[in-house]
Amino acid sequence: MDPALRQLLILRLRGGLRQRLLQLASLRGLLFSLAFGGIIWFLIASNGSSDTSFLGSATLDRQALSAQIMTFMPLSMLGLSLLTVLMTTGPTFHFSPNEINFLFTGPFHRRDLILYKFCAYVAGVTLTSLFITLIAPPQTGSALSVFIATLLTLVFVQLNSAVIGMAGHAVEGSRLARLRWPATALLGAIGAATVLSAWTMPDRGIIDLLSEFRHSWIGTIVLIPYIVFAKLFVAPSLSELALWALVAVVINAALLRAVIALDARTTDRSLAENARLSNRWERIKQGGSFWATERTEVRSIRRAPSVGGLGPIAARQALNALRNSLKPIIVFVGLAACIPPISLALGAPVTDPQTLMIIYIFIAFILPRNMVCDFRGDLSRMEIYKTLPIAPWRICAGQLVVQSLLGYVIALTIIASALVFEDSVTTKAALVFAAFALPLTFLIYAIENTAHLLFPTKLVAMGRADFEFLGRSIVEFIAKTIFVFASMAASGAVGLVTFNMMGATLVLPGVASWLTLTLIGLLTLVALQYAFRRFAVAETID
Amino acid sequence: MITVTNFSKQYKGFTAVKNLSFSVEPGQILGLLGPNGAGKTTTLRTLCGIIPPSSGSLLVAGHDVVQAPIAAKENLGYIPDDPRLFDTMTVWEHLAFTAAAYKLADFEKDAEALLASFELTHKRNTLVHNLSRGMRQKVAIASAFLHDPKVILFDEPLTGLDPQGIRGIQQAIRDRAQAGAAIIISSHLLSLFENLCTHIMVLNLGECRRFGTMEDLLSEVGHTDSTSALEEVYFSITQAPDQTSETAAV
Repeated sequence: MDPALRQLLILRLRGGLRQRLLQLASLRGLLFSLAFGGIIWFLIASNGSSDTSFLGSATLDRQALSAQIMTFMPLSMLGLSLLTVLMTTGPTFHFSPNEINFLFTGPFHRRDLILYKFCAYVAGVTLTSLFITLIAPPQTGSALSVFIATLLTLVFVQLNSAVIGMAGHAVEGSRLARLRWPATALLGAIGAATVLSAWTMPDRGIIDLLSEFRHSWIGTIVLIPYIVFAKLFVAPSLSELALWALVAVVINAALLRAVIALDARTTDRSLAENARLSNRWERIKQGGSFWATERTEVRSIRRAPSVGGLGPIAARQALNALRNSLKPIIVFVGLAACIPPISLALGAPVTDPQTLMIIYIFIAFILPRNMVCDFRGDLSRMEIYKTLPIAPWRICAGQLVVQSLLGYVIALTIIASALVFEDSVTTKAALVFAAFALPLTFLIYAIENTAHLLFPTKLVAMGRADFEFLGRSIVEFIAKTIFVFASMAASGAVGLVTFNMMGATLVLPGVASWLTLTLIGLLTLVALQYAFRRFAVAETID
Repeated sequence: MITVTNFSKQYKGFTAVKNLSFSVEPGQILGLLGPNGAGKTTTLRTLCGIIPPSSGSLLVAGHDVVQAPIAAKENLGYIPDDPRLFDTMTVWEHLAFTAAAYKLADFEKDAEALLASFELTHKRNTLVHNLSRGMRQKVAIASAFLHDPKVILFDEPLTGLDPQGIRGIQQAIRDRAQAGAAIIISSHLLSLFENLCTHIMVLNLGECRRFGTMEDLLSEVGHTDSTSALEEVYFSITQAPDQTSETAAV
């Protein structure tokens, strides 16, 4: 690699480190980083003792885990590669606009630029691997083996995706490219036949069929490169680990060589895709979605509803959801539908406390982080809202309507799926869950938005080691959870008191409980209105 | 139409605007002139209710922006220096949103006319993040004009516009003033003031140093060319070692 690029890499790494240290210099940064460290320590400590494991004590022993890794890891990696072939549109080595401005115009060979990006990626992946090593359960093997296996596998995934994507670009326009969709159709047909076959044979499920394929001679041949990385994870001794690590390094080196060779044939396409990806990242920083529509022209809605001022805000967020977040919403609805059958297959029905906790984390942490159709994505447009002749509470309510309804639809999907797949969930119970899910979802997003307006922050982490961001996310989640659980407890207490007073029927206590939760949600809207009023739009002094 | 009385704004011990008083009548165009940090944007942002004043009274169409913010905002259009639009919405949807926000029942005809006047008709279904900065500026101005505000505040309105766009916006501002709107423009472009403004206010370090009609300023420095007169006034005020607001001709 060119010495100047090496120096740039060192300077950027040093800059990143300096930024983290500067975060620690502020009280807030220090507290959030300590909080993050505390959570990691808890995860490590709980991994050491199966009794206090965060994910419960139903953990596999080393031998069973190795067997599962050897069977399913190569299959998963093959699936990931196929998905890359189908979905990839851009370069896996992404150059930012400033890198394009400075480096593409500098006296550097393309090969050196690829190596520079590769080294930057390896530096980031090293940190990720270190993190995974820290929280990996003890039965996955020694810390050294987990670290080496994770590092080499992540590098392989990146290089493999790059080679597949670039090879696709290189053959674009040729006869080979025409095979893409027939090949996809063929794979789809094989997949459908597999599922149908599993469906017709009551004693064998789809997992059994996949397992049989993996251990067949044809499966072994197809999956050879992926099996190497599975071997890394299950290597029983240091010598075997060193052997498989060597093979993995050779594979990665060959892939890197292929990337450099293919890059020369895809430069123009690569530049266009880099610009496209940069635009997407810019949009994410402003609260948009990576999956936002890339169309230039769309059909405009003729009129926005007024509804006393609430309508236009809600309509704006509905369009935002439709054009910015439709793909993640579909994915989340799909995931929500899968939660009950998967948890049932794993022997932990949705009524199990641990499953309920995982569902809560999905609803209250993962969804709000990935689906942003409220104030959190509009901080840069707050001056527009501030100048509107609409009462603040209506603006706040308008901001929450779409986000809460989307969250509610996903919660309803889980409930409907549980009703279909689980015998323990009756229609009556499902209706009660559905009734309570609405005020609960509203409460979650009202708290989320209030906290964000009172303590505004960026929506995406600045790099892999943004401990302040990670710490803040966790602290916010814990605070939100305490508030939500306290609200649920208050709601339950009111229901209990009503039951003790009224007796006999459960309807009145249920209604009292529901009204209490709804009231708390509405009171949180008042808090959100206060936060909106006191929110200081960047007070530019000019 | 705009009445500002003893307005001050402090940020954490720093005074951005000190004891500012002025008024703008219907049909008048006031140019706010001053170096960076003079308090121009703070004044505009306070007038349109984005930031609260520390003291003083600010009236828009007779409504106090603190006591009756909704009524004040119904009569106000604000065009910020950086047009931050909703990137998932089309040009037309911005107008539809504005119409709903200001409760305009029949806005389509006016919206079509605005699109035509800003040469945006062919972009009506374009998502705004695909527009150039100048185009986005035009969308912001069209949205601000839609409800026919009595008070219009422009913060650097010509940034990013091509010569044709500049001419179009200047004409639109003149037309709005002739129709009876009170307008304030903040800018660093002296030629803009020369072309448009009936009144000029020079701010420096948060204080008003000159306020009067363009004719007053010209006669004060004895120039016939308004741009060089403004230049002379501007530099004589902003580069003077110290000058208190008592010297301002208010």
